[in-house]
Amino acid sequence: MNQLLRKSFFILSMTLGFYGALWAQNRTITGKVTSATDAQPLPGVNVTLKGATTGVSTDAEGSYRIVVPDGKVTLAFSFVGMLSQEVVVTNRTIINVELLESPTQLNEVVVTGYTTTQQKDVISAMTTVKGDRLKNLPVSGIDQALQGQAAGVRVSAASGTPGGGVKVVIRGNTSINASNRPLMIVDGIPVYDGAVSQFSYGGQQDNAISAFNTSDVESIQVLKDASAKAIYGARGANGVVLITTKRGKANQKTNITFDVQRGVSDVVKRLDLLSSSEILTLQREAVANFNAKQTRFQDMVDPDALGLIPGVTDAVNTNWVDEVLRKGIYQQYQLSTSGGNDRTRFYLSGSYRDEEGVQLNNRFARYTGSFNLDHKASPKLSFGLNLSIGSTKNRRVFSDNAVDGVYGSALRSLPYYAPFNEQSKLYTPNDPNYQGFPNGNPVAEALLPRQLTYGIKFLGGVNAEYAFMPNLRLRTKFSMDYNGSQEDTYNPTGTFYGSLPSVGGQGYGAYGTSSLATFLNSTILTYNTSISEDHHISGLVGGELLHSQGLTSGVQGRVFPRDEFTYISSAGVVDAGSSFFTQNGLVSGFGEIKYDYKNKYLFSATARYDGSSRFGQDRKFGFFPSASVGWRLKEENFLKDVDFIEDIKLRASYGYTGNERIGNYQFLGTWDATTYNGSSGVGPNSLSNPNLQWERTREANIGLDVAFWKGRLSFTAEVYDNLTDALLFAEPLPATTGFGSLQGNIGSISNRGLEFTLRSVNFDGAFRWTTDLNVSRNDNKVVSLASEQPLYRGFSAAGVGATNVIKVGEPLGTFWGLKYLGVDVATGDALYEDFNGDGRITTDDAQVIGNAQPKLIGGLTNTFSWNGFDVSAFLQFSYGNSVMNYGNSFLLNPGTDLRVNQTRASLRRWQKAGDITDVPRYEYNNTYNSYSSSRLVEDGSYLRLKNVAIGYTVPAKWTSKIKLGTVRLYATGTNLWTLTRYTGADPEVSTLDGSTAAQGIDFFTLPQVKTIVGGVTVNF
Amino acid sequence: MKRLSYAFLLTALMSACNTVVLDPPAVDLLIDDIVFTTASDLPSVRIGLYSAARSIGSPTVQAGDFTADNIIHLGTFTDYRELGTKQITPSNGVVGALWGSVFRSIYLANFVLERLPTIASVRAADAKALTAEAKFLRGYANFIGAHTFGGIPKVTSTTLATNRTIPRASKEEILTWALEDLQAALADLPDGDPQDRNVFAGYATKNAARAALARYYLYQKNWAQAEAYATLLINSTNYSLVSYNDVVTKDFTQESIFEFGYTLNDYSGDINNYFVGRREVVPSNQVVVSLLSRESGNRSQTLVFDFTKQKGNDNGWTLRKYGTADESNRNFVIFRLGEMYLIRAEARAQQGKITGTTGAIADINRLRTRAGDGLADSAKPPLITTATQSEMLSIIERERVYELSFEGHRWYDLVRTGRAQAVMSAFSTNWNVKYELWPIPQTEIQRNPSLAGQQNPGY
Repeated sequence: MNQLLRKSFFILSMTLGFYGALWAQNRTITGKVTSATDAQPLPGVNVTLKGATTGVSTDAEGSYRIVVPDGKVTLAFSFVGMLSQEVVVTNRTIINVELLESPTQLNEVVVTGYTTTQQKDVISAMTTVKGDRLKNLPVSGIDQALQGQAAGVRVSAASGTPGGGVKVVIRGNTSINASNRPLMIVDGIPVYDGAVSQFSYGGQQDNAISAFNTSDVESIQVLKDASAKAIYGARGANGVVLITTKRGKANQKTNITFDVQRGVSDVVKRLDLLSSSEILTLQREAVANFNAKQTRFQDMVDPDALGLIPGVTDAVNTNWVDEVLRKGIYQQYQLSTSGGNDRTRFYLSGSYRDEEGVQLNNRFARYTGSFNLDHKASPKLSFGLNLSIGSTKNRRVFSDNAVDGVYGSALRSLPYYAPFNEQSKLYTPNDPNYQGFPNGNPVAEALLPRQLTYGIKFLGGVNAEYAFMPNLRLRTKFSMDYNGSQEDTYNPTGTFYGSLPSVGGQGYGAYGTSSLATFLNSTILTYNTSISEDHHISGLVGGELLHSQGLTSGVQGRVFPRDEFTYISSAGVVDAGSSFFTQNGLVSGFGEIKYDYKNKYLFSATARYDGSSRFGQDRKFGFFPSASVGWRLKEENFLKDVDFIEDIKLRASYGYTGNERIGNYQFLGTWDATTYNGSSGVGPNSLSNPNLQWERTREANIGLDVAFWKGRLSFTAEVYDNLTDALLFAEPLPATTGFGSLQGNIGSISNRGLEFTLRSVNFDGAFRWTTDLNVSRNDNKVVSLASEQPLYRGFSAAGVGATNVIKVGEPLGTFWGLKYLGVDVATGDALYEDFNGDGRITTDDAQVIGNAQPKLIGGLTNTFSWNGFDVSAFLQFSYGNSVMNYGNSFLLNPGTDLRVNQTRASLRRWQKAGDITDVPRYEYNNTYNSYSSSRLVEDGSYLRLKNVAIGYTVPAKWTSKIKLGTVRLYATGTNLWTLTRYTGADPEVSTLDGSTAAQGIDFFTLPQVKTIVGGVTVNF
Repeated sequence: MKRLSYAFLLTALMSACNTVVLDPPAVDLLIDDIVFTTASDLPSVRIGLYSAARSIGSPTVQAGDFTADNIIHLGTFTDYRELGTKQITPSNGVVGALWGSVFRSIYLANFVLERLPTIASVRAADAKALTAEAKFLRGYANFIGAHTFGGIPKVTSTTLATNRTIPRASKEEILTWALEDLQAALADLPDGDPQDRNVFAGYATKNAARAALARYYLYQKNWAQAEAYATLLINSTNYSLVSYNDVVTKDFTQESIFEFGYTLNDYSGDINNYFVGRREVVPSNQVVVSLLSRESGNRSQTLVFDFTKQKGNDNGWTLRKYGTADESNRNFVIFRLGEMYLIRAEARAQQGKITGTTGAIADINRLRTRAGDGLADSAKPPLITTATQSEMLSIIERERVYELSFEGHRWYDLVRTGRAQAVMSAFSTNWNVKYELWPIPQTEIQRNPSLAGQQNPGY
């Protein structure tokens, strides 16, 4: 009844208005409404006459025509996502209006795969990270900058080495053997973000994305559920990271920004190891304990003969860690400019970054340039360009997760050796006081070799868009992502490798190149329409063609005449040459349909059909559908007038995505080249599997987005349940088959989790305080494997085989070993749990002893600004994860190997009957006490002040006098404070980059660095 | 309509690109269906067969010498610490490597034997020779497997389904099969051309099969047969004892009957690296003393001393038998004439033939004479004039150390002569009777359900 009344009233007033207009003296106003951002016409803008009921909408060209009464009138222009504008009109008849984007979060435009939408209409799980959140982080790569910024995204740098590998996992590990990295897309171009170079530097890898300048990023979109990702089909299962770079704005004054940063870095913590006299006492005790066990005199060992002579041996006391580490100097200079008129917009930037590693001789330098251009040729045709070039020079040292690496050797080296002799010359292998194998002289290993990796990343794309009709557009894009590396190394005779007899002992040089280029064409057709006012429909269809090719080559040279001759042209023996070529391709079709009723009930369906060269002959194509529904409760009548609630949206999605990064040619049974006695032939390489296919993830997600008080407080909660099956799996075969494994799709992994994101503007006004919090939990579990037999992975582990296990019911990253029960008070030997109860401690007693998956991860950012000052503090945490302190199998080895320095914990070792301690007695050559056990597994939880920044923007009244825009002075510090119970140097480890089975192992990992940077940004 | 034509265009585009993008040809790989289909494929597959078999070489040396009293461990690798300090576990990588290379060789031999009859175009003589080579290498692999691990699975085909759950056969069954293979190989292998030693000793010949049978019968304690086969080789005009320095530093000497060949480019160098590069292991004091003894004579050239290396546990001695890639002793010698003299001497001594031209003493003195070459009379190894049978056997045991150290014999010799317990307990307090066999690799037991609970005793 009420409704009917209201409707009748509406019709009545419309009619009256119409007649009223007839009666009055009228005139017509016309005009065009465009967006201030890109000068694009805005169709569908409401143009109303204030104080009357007259109203029209702009047409497809953004034009309108409205009849108004004579005299002074006010026109109101409103459009979703834009700030409303009112224009007072007296006698003009043409009123053109530019609408500014509305800054409220709800109306923010977000990139969703191949299109964009407004935040309020998003009905899938995605998180936006704004570029300005990254500006205070002096990290080299976008991947690292994401750490702690988005719920559900777990980022860990492999080590504190600049330009090194970074592990990014979104919503848990989905795969054992295929890549777990998300798909990274920069302005629609999928980019390679892994290692390019081919030479081994221990566990340290380079990282293609570190050649890309973080400052060019406008925003990052992390797509997390099937409805967001299914448009990427067979590449979507690990999540998608969409990176949008900065572009010029239309009709904007050309704007130039210069930014300079300088700083200094050091490792977060240096391990405290024993001094010369302490380790010597320990070593002699270990020998004495060994001798006490011997029954025959001839088996006993004289510690003096081993060179362990008090007063002589310990005359030198070197802190090796201090010898190889330093404070690194960091500097970065950036210049960017952007601007545009109503037809052309541009963004141009260049930067130079120079970062000294904290290890001697380690240095990462980078030049980047980028150019984005958009041009509107006609109302129908526009085109654009993205160009980004990064060039890196990485002076590397062999380190990270390597026994023989510089850092690892320094930790292990005995303090009674010295790096330099009396003449301050480095000890090298031919010197009598050279420490010798296995530790060598880590200082020489850092300083003497030339180990350069030159990297280049080129990202370029051209696109064109043609609007057949304003709501029917065809967009096509051609792009290339090129990653190249050239490696130039020389190890002189003073180094371990350069002096190895097996390479000739006269220096060793190697040169290698590798490149990976991906070419892409994607073409999409988009269409949107409304049926009456209430039904909004949009859709797209598209096709994509992707082709990648990689080329590698390498050559080595040995037997150089002198150390002054360091290039392979001078080598006496040039051998081990290699070259290789590989390629893969993807052909896809995809589509999306979105529908909403009155912006209240939203629905979308997405699907992609992918064919990949990596799949077996019988499984070339995969289909990946998804659907999603959303309900904006705020639009319902019962909430419409509740003022403090800005928006409530409930959404759910379900769908399938895939992981096609399973390696090339894996489905083929192949033979490769082999040799014997100077002849070449072929040997079997792998077994064939024509059914080899993508890994498939079934994803279900429910989300709730709520905003209060005009967006002052908003939060998002997500719950998801994902199941990945058809895991790419090199099913281990017994050697009796002639092969080690068979590639197949067996097994499944489940990831279930909760995510919570909160944003709050606590104070607004002159003093502004905002808080951003994100917390997420992911439960990862191996649901099924090829067989009941667990798989053993990771590093080799004394007495139990391997450090890690993949076992049904346990998460990936599970540690394997004996359960350490402490030290026998009577004998001082280690006590292990006899798991199988057979009365002996053997390999069969190994069991699960922890896992590297955190229970909770998150980040908390508080920003304050007042009177030109701004302060931000970013805390990041990981809770409930274990770290295997694998380094302690060397550094706290109860006597197994005497040629290794020990941590301070060794001082509380068992020494006599009755000692109650957790460190077994030291006995020379005893391996039993150092079996890999839970003794090495520690709580790796931490809370870290990841970043704190203080800035001051100089008041405009001063800067304008010298013709500057804004000037901001700032200082920022990273990793300044850490709260953890972990006893190693740094709990933030991600050993074996790329490995999912062996995570969270601290194996001589160079700790993260703390950095203090000062800078100034000038804008004019 | 537009959308329809677009979809049509897209489909056309996709089919055109299918071959380029979706099926890029693999490079430097052969699909297994086409690897062995015509007679011209035979040489490349034959090289693959030998290439697989030669990976038995290095782990056999490690089994024969590192498990026994010939080395001490200095390095950091757990695998070698376990071998050196006699704490071998089923997860030891060297154990896995030997097992893997044995079965890889058997797989390739089976592949050749299964495929060869299906290829019509192969000449009968070629087929016969390749069949014999495959059987020779399979027989040798099974011989090594059975004496290292005891009973191992009897793998007679390339069928994946069978081989992944195959149970252990008895040691006797494996050895019987190895004998069949070696005898069949002997019948069909070529005599070889002694002019080209790289081929003559680098590939299987009738003589290689005879040498294998001589050792086979020695291990089986079939003394008469062992003596007979060894005699065939000793009497062959194709072989002669060369200077011991050449034995140490050269490949393909006149003495060599069969060796696994490497070149500069494919040399793995692992044994060299363990002894020289890393000093992961060094010769034990016992073996140093033995090799420097007067009885050993110039066979002391097996080792070299470097005082700069001598510190701590390192006695400063280094093995010379396995050189670097640039040196000319890259190969693993499997059978050589020196061993044939030792086999015959032992077989004769066991049969009570001690003195005279057909006695054990004559064979040992032949080696001792060579070991005295270039030495002053006072330093030459003493020749034996008389000995009881037990004295003779003990002399032969010592002589095998002098002659064959670091060629992968010592542990096998101690085990087959029943001396392991006595000798090894004196060497290491960790020694246990279980170490007379290596464990089945842990991964095999995990991956093959038929091996569950079938580990060798004690592990």
